[in-house]
Amino acid sequence: MNTEVVERHPAIFHLPPVIDTRRGTGGMMLVIVSEASMFLILFVSYWFLSNGDLRWPSQEPPKLGLALLMLLVLGSSSVILSWGERQIQHARQRAARWAGVLAAALGSMFLVLQAFEYRDHLKTLTPRTNAYGSLFYTITAIHGLHVLTGILLLIYVLLLPDLDPAKPPHRPYYNASMFWHFVDVVWIFIVAILYVVPHLR
Amino acid sequence: MVQLGIYPVVEKTAESEFVHRLNQIWETPHTFWGRISTVDHKVIGCRYLVTAMIFMAVGGLEALAMRLQLSRANQSLLTPEAYNQIFTMHGITMIFWYASPILSGFGNYLVPLLIGARDMAFPRVNAFSYWSFLLSGMFLYSSAVIGQAPHGGWFAYTPYTDSIYSPGYGMDFYALALIFLTISTTAGAINFIVTIFGLRAPGMDLSRMPLILYSTLTTSFAIVVSLPALTVACLFLELDRRWGTHFFAIDRGGNPLLWQQLFWFFGHPWVYVVFLPATGMISMLLPVFARRPIVGYNFVAVSTVMTGLIGFSVWIHHMFAVGMSHMSMTFFSAASMTISVFTAIQVFAWIATLIKGRPIFTASLHFALGFIALLVVGGLNGIITAVIPVDWQLTDTYFVVAHLHYVLVGANVFPVFAAFYYWLPKITGRRMNETLGKLGFWIMFVGFNLAFFPMHMVGLLGMPRRVYTYPPGLGWEGLNATSTVGAMILGLGILVSCWNFLASSRRGVPAGRNPWRADTLEWALESPPAPYGTVHIPTVASLHPLWDDYDEELDPHNERVLDRGRLTVASTWREAKPVGISKMPEDTSSPLLLAISLAVLFSGLVLPRLDIASAGALATFAVMAVWLWPHPEEVHT
Repeated sequence: MNTEVVERHPAIFHLPPVIDTRRGTGGMMLVIVSEASMFLILFVSYWFLSNGDLRWPSQEPPKLGLALLMLLVLGSSSVILSWGERQIQHARQRAARWAGVLAAALGSMFLVLQAFEYRDHLKTLTPRTNAYGSLFYTITAIHGLHVLTGILLLIYVLLLPDLDPAKPPHRPYYNASMFWHFVDVVWIFIVAILYVVPHLR
Repeated sequence: MVQLGIYPVVEKTAESEFVHRLNQIWETPHTFWGRISTVDHKVIGCRYLVTAMIFMAVGGLEALAMRLQLSRANQSLLTPEAYNQIFTMHGITMIFWYASPILSGFGNYLVPLLIGARDMAFPRVNAFSYWSFLLSGMFLYSSAVIGQAPHGGWFAYTPYTDSIYSPGYGMDFYALALIFLTISTTAGAINFIVTIFGLRAPGMDLSRMPLILYSTLTTSFAIVVSLPALTVACLFLELDRRWGTHFFAIDRGGNPLLWQQLFWFFGHPWVYVVFLPATGMISMLLPVFARRPIVGYNFVAVSTVMTGLIGFSVWIHHMFAVGMSHMSMTFFSAASMTISVFTAIQVFAWIATLIKGRPIFTASLHFALGFIALLVVGGLNGIITAVIPVDWQLTDTYFVVAHLHYVLVGANVFPVFAAFYYWLPKITGRRMNETLGKLGFWIMFVGFNLAFFPMHMVGLLGMPRRVYTYPPGLGWEGLNATSTVGAMILGLGILVSCWNFLASSRRGVPAGRNPWRADTLEWALESPPAPYGTVHIPTVASLHPLWDDYDEELDPHNERVLDRGRLTVASTWREAKPVGISKMPEDTSSPLLLAISLAVLFSGLVLPRLDIASAGALATFAVMAVWLWPHPEEVHT
């Protein structure tokens, strides 16, 4: 028994040392699990307050056009960022940085579009109108804050002197992208549940 | 490229030189700056333990104030408002700022030692968890200083807690302090998961993990998934109270039941969060005192995980009196009874371990046995309340108070004291006084039962919870007086043990490395452990590393010393095969600054002063930016 364990995996203790880079990714994955749980709970609250009828807003459902445009903006930013991740894998940091800049710019565009959407929407519905309004603005605003966080994360990553995944902070580009994709996926759910379903009559 | 403790075979470095070098690398200077910037999990663990015990003392004094008020009919020691604030603060303090943090304290101290790692996976996040736990507690209690503590009960049902029926700052402090705490707790849970799944000693595969790791993992996952419900509920409450939304306002399409659903979706998993780590600790220490491995290790591990899972499907049993469909109530009633099966499996495993072993009745084992007895009572009266028609009769009476105290005090405080008697010799390096310990146990046990058993009866007689007084002649006086006397005795017993901890840690007999001849890795270290833990990162060949004849620290070529910086071994999550070296951060004050920034943010929100809140938010981002920036010396490792 004695020698078995030691001999089974001696490799990592020899030169050159293998630096483990998984911790940050693990942490980010769990942050995302927690955030996903939060959005799930927000959606369940939406379902609960709708009394089981997801085609809920009794007056008029939110307009689809801008939301779909925002989906396009955010979706394309995710695609660009995935391309950037591949550039990192091939050690092409310059290209990856440009991809990050582009994604952050598209994210900012998303926020501008959301401001327009709010300005239009607030004419007929405010957070103080009724429970539907409270929930609609809370969910979309929390998502907007996540987009803002994602933009700040990306800018931070782009400012880092070295994007080599093996250098601390390990895998910065990959971890920030993971958060970005998550925020993107949440918007898909928001569009589906808050924008599209109420139109299905 | 620096070498990471890799030496040619010919070079024989003396063990004492390793110790010297590791000490230089890991030790924090004993200065003021060193104290506020340390990231040592052992220091943080001790801080958690001490702080949580202080919160317990505060919550205990609140409980005694309530008991004095209720000792006689028509007593007028406390005004109704003061009574409301005190019972609310008692509940919040005990459940959020004592019961879970005390277990985080043990977890922080023990988990890295148990897995043979040199620190948690995110030592700075760990420091942040502690500071934000401390500051959120101070934030909560600042409400008491201005005389406007929360007064809506620890589960704060709407509409009673909205701005119309609860004006003032109390419930705002409640909502914001809890959101603040959820940040701390979630960060801590993520840290535990990544640590246990990433830094176990080579060879410690899942089937060789000490049971406390199973309960810590289950608990941490439950926190990550269920705590957002509390965050969302508190956010809704605060928005309703201050910003004019209508989540809980029924005339605008809201629903007060939304609060109850969200709160208990979080609340019931939370019961297991404060319960499972305690069972994990019992599963660690009870077999040691029974002098044999635990019976049914696999069953205990699986039922721990199952308890965590099913814990997510029983929350409605807090709401049987609300009025819901029979189908859903039946389902949740059945789930509530199912969950007791998995607790029973653990109880039977402990009893079988005691029967098959040759138990040594130390003070620690006394507390463990007391816990089992109380858990069985708490479990049985829990099953009674899981029966819906009975629950309709008993809900909101003192019967439920008795049940939850048997479960929470019985299954948290008693195991925690068992754990103190078991692990304090490791933490302080000195043995506790056994006689005083057993005396303290009996005082606590008698006091506890005297305080809480009569509450079953007074509950059956119809005494409702949360009343600040009651008229004479209902047959409640004798039972309430007994409860008050019992509570005093319970407090005395806790004092005896706390005195024992303080006195013995100064004057006790030196403990040596392994006073209990226990089986897990932390007992291979000196007491108290050196800042770096082990000189050689151990490898593990069985479930009981110190009971087998395998030498965990055997490392003839000194490959696992890792003395070129703060380093530890990273391994795969299932089989714990080493896959790399993890670089650990140096001491830093960023975690404290981040917690302070958040405190500023939440103070701004409670006032409400948006300028202060924005300053806090900006400071939060600034501190995080500084925190995450790679240090020049780290870039070269």
